[in-house]
Amino acid sequence: MALLIPVASETYAVPLGSVREVVVSPRVTPLPTAPDAVRGVFNLRGDVVPLFDTGRILGLASIVGEPYAVLVETEHGVAGLLATDMPVTVRLHESVGHSDLEGTTETYLVGELRLAVGLDMAVLLNPVRMAQ
Amino acid sequence: MSNAEPPSEADFQKIFAAEAEGRLDTLGDQLIELEKSGPTPDLVASLFREAHTIKGGAAVVGLPHVARVAHALEDLLEEVRRERRKVDPTLIDAVLAGVDAIRGLIPLAVAGDDHERAAFEAEQRLRIAIGGEPAGAPAPPPPPVEAPRRPSPPAAEAGGPPEDTQTHRVAGHAATAAPAAPAPTDITLGGEAAHHAAPEMLQMPVHRIDELVRLIGEASASTLRLGGALLDRLECEPSSLSEYRDLARCLNELQELALRARMIPVMSLAPRLRRAVRDLARDTGKQIRFETRGEDAEIDRGVLERLADPLLHLVRNAVDHGIELPEERRSKGKPSEGVVRLHAMQLGSEVVIAVSDDGRGIDLGRVREAAGQSDSTALEMDDESALYLIFRSGLSTATRVTDVSGRGVGLDAVRASLNAVRGRIEVRSDPGLGTEFRIAVPITMATLRCLVVASAGRRYGIPLHSVRAVLPPQPAASVGGRDMTMLDGRPVPISSLAGVLGTGNGCDGPAVVVSGLTRSHALEVDELIDQRDIVVKGFGELVPRLPAIAGAGIQPDGTILLVLEAAGLIERARRRALHGAAPLEGEGPGRDGAEAPAERQAAAILVVDDALTVRELQRSIFEHAGYRVRTAANGEEALERMAEEVPDLVLTDIEMPVMDGFQLTEAIRARPGFASVPIIILTSRGSEESRRRGLEAGADGYIVKSGFDQVALLSAVERLLGASQ
Repeated sequence: MALLIPVASETYAVPLGSVREVVVSPRVTPLPTAPDAVRGVFNLRGDVVPLFDTGRILGLASIVGEPYAVLVETEHGVAGLLATDMPVTVRLHESVGHSDLEGTTETYLVGELRLAVGLDMAVLLNPVRMAQ
Repeated sequence: MSNAEPPSEADFQKIFAAEAEGRLDTLGDQLIELEKSGPTPDLVASLFREAHTIKGGAAVVGLPHVARVAHALEDLLEEVRRERRKVDPTLIDAVLAGVDAIRGLIPLAVAGDDHERAAFEAEQRLRIAIGGEPAGAPAPPPPPVEAPRRPSPPAAEAGGPPEDTQTHRVAGHAATAAPAAPAPTDITLGGEAAHHAAPEMLQMPVHRIDELVRLIGEASASTLRLGGALLDRLECEPSSLSEYRDLARCLNELQELALRARMIPVMSLAPRLRRAVRDLARDTGKQIRFETRGEDAEIDRGVLERLADPLLHLVRNAVDHGIELPEERRSKGKPSEGVVRLHAMQLGSEVVIAVSDDGRGIDLGRVREAAGQSDSTALEMDDESALYLIFRSGLSTATRVTDVSGRGVGLDAVRASLNAVRGRIEVRSDPGLGTEFRIAVPITMATLRCLVVASAGRRYGIPLHSVRAVLPPQPAASVGGRDMTMLDGRPVPISSLAGVLGTGNGCDGPAVVVSGLTRSHALEVDELIDQRDIVVKGFGELVPRLPAIAGAGIQPDGTILLVLEAAGLIERARRRALHGAAPLEGEGPGRDGAEAPAERQAAAILVVDDALTVRELQRSIFEHAGYRVRTAANGEEALERMAEEVPDLVLTDIEMPVMDGFQLTEAIRARPGFASVPIIILTSRGSEESRRRGLEAGADGYIVKSGFDQVALLSAVERLLGASQ
């Protein structure tokens, strides 16, 4: 099973097992001096959790506002990924092709003429990449 | 905030185990060949090299006992190499027994099982085979196998013959491995009880106290939130309720007591520092006495752990750069024995630790000259400002970097470590009389008292320990293109906090004067709000280190308050003044990700070592630090790599097949295209002779591998790269 993360007109997929929860309109505190990909931090029941601009970490356009945050567990701690629309759960079928974009894996058909691209969290959410 | 973690030793231990397996097989085969056909120089050299490589690898991945046995094996083979020992069946038996012992020890060591005793016995057997006498007498220099990151080692004092140290260490490890806490913790919690009979003691694991401290911190934060809710929902000022005040007071006391339970004496670090002084003094031929004062000063265990490396750096510096050689001291009318002092004292909520020496002092002329190469303002600085130039990264006063010895200056690294515990460092130096470094750190890191300010619609906490003054709205005068204001009769640069953070433009509110380690700066804000105790949390590993932001605290109303870092803010303000704000603003509101590390990312390092473990370890260290890394397994391969692309720096081992490190260094120096590439020789051979040979061959630095000392290695590399660019 996977969770689909809408980012503007595109859709990305993360394994459901790595998703902790989805937060609607988190109250974000921006982090001045941080790179563009870091949208800020928010308070998740007493923990300070970083929120990343899913568009920017993929090298695409920035996401406007903070409509949804998908909290994922990574090797380096919990992180929020911004989504522009309500994320939904689907069962992924076989890959229909490889995705060349850095930090992504395979492309899947998730509806009529709707494609989702799998995210490689180990590549995307990684301190070395973030520092660049 | 977590900085980049060092790569896991466990991973490298596995690589090492796999590699050692192959080398032990080779050793076994070659030994049989040796027995059959007798010694040839090539065969003996190869045997020696295999043992040497295993020793070096084991030491580097933190398997000191394996390294010791391999060291003894190497010594035995050295006897053969020098033809002081005949090759006979007894010898072959002894060497093979050593090989088997290492083969048996590695899996135990990697699994973390007890193997000290077995290693000790194997080493003794090899030592007996060497001279028919136990290890004691003509001791080889102790191999640098002490894992550097072991927190507060038990009182295994230096001195005495090696077997002595060994048994101490064995005992020490056993003690650390036991479930009890390494440092006994007095939890009677009453200072007064100590007068009469010895207070009852109870040992407990440190994590229990940590958990207690954490929960008390959470309880304090909840109490603050409760107060906020009372005010919001019931319009009841919490401080008017005596019940609320009692709760808050109890929690405060509880927190203080719990924090005190985590305290350990600063001097628990002394044995380790004394050992470093002794070893380095012996290596450098100096006579040095190490003195300590302030046995009663205590500090949070977590803070002290982070101070271990900086203090080690300062102490090594004092020995290496401060204290003169005995002849030089005598000629200046000083006693030939130098003194290095470690002095700790508690001052209010801070502990001050001073490392001083009675050596030659810091030569300001040379500091100015060295810094002047990259920064012309250095030449006009007053003495005090010039003195602080030594904390700049890449600055070395040595005309040629002849000795980085793994204990190089690295004062910028010291400063960075201190930043992490919110410490400051000051330096004082009298030419000819000595140098003193003073470190001041808060006793604990749990909560931080902050001044809360508003700037460009947001609120920030500024740690009170870095606030020097608060000024009413200031008229500013432009001096040399920078806005300045006056504080205590001295000019201080001034700029708006919003401008420095990139969140907005100037304002004309009050100014908060903050001081970092060496400079002060006035920051204009919109409004001063109040003072608060903040439990500061980091942003996790995924957010890159932001020098201007120390962390964040959660406020009673659930919002997040960012806590700023004075040193980082000042540096940022200074850079903006130097480079002008204009180019930064083109990148969008409040964003300028272009920080310094990007500048050095292109630097390429060629790592030459025949041991896969060492190559991969170094690759990981340097890639982590943002360098590009290429590797070669021997000198010849290195020259091939260099023909493809000239690296910015070469880091090479000595003992390698085909072409060794000395030959490689000479070959590089002889080729016109390569001649200026800096070369560091990294080896486990600590002898003065090999060091001299390396430097004669044309190396720029010579570092003795000692365990996992990344900081020294990185700072040496940064220095050389800085000097060559």
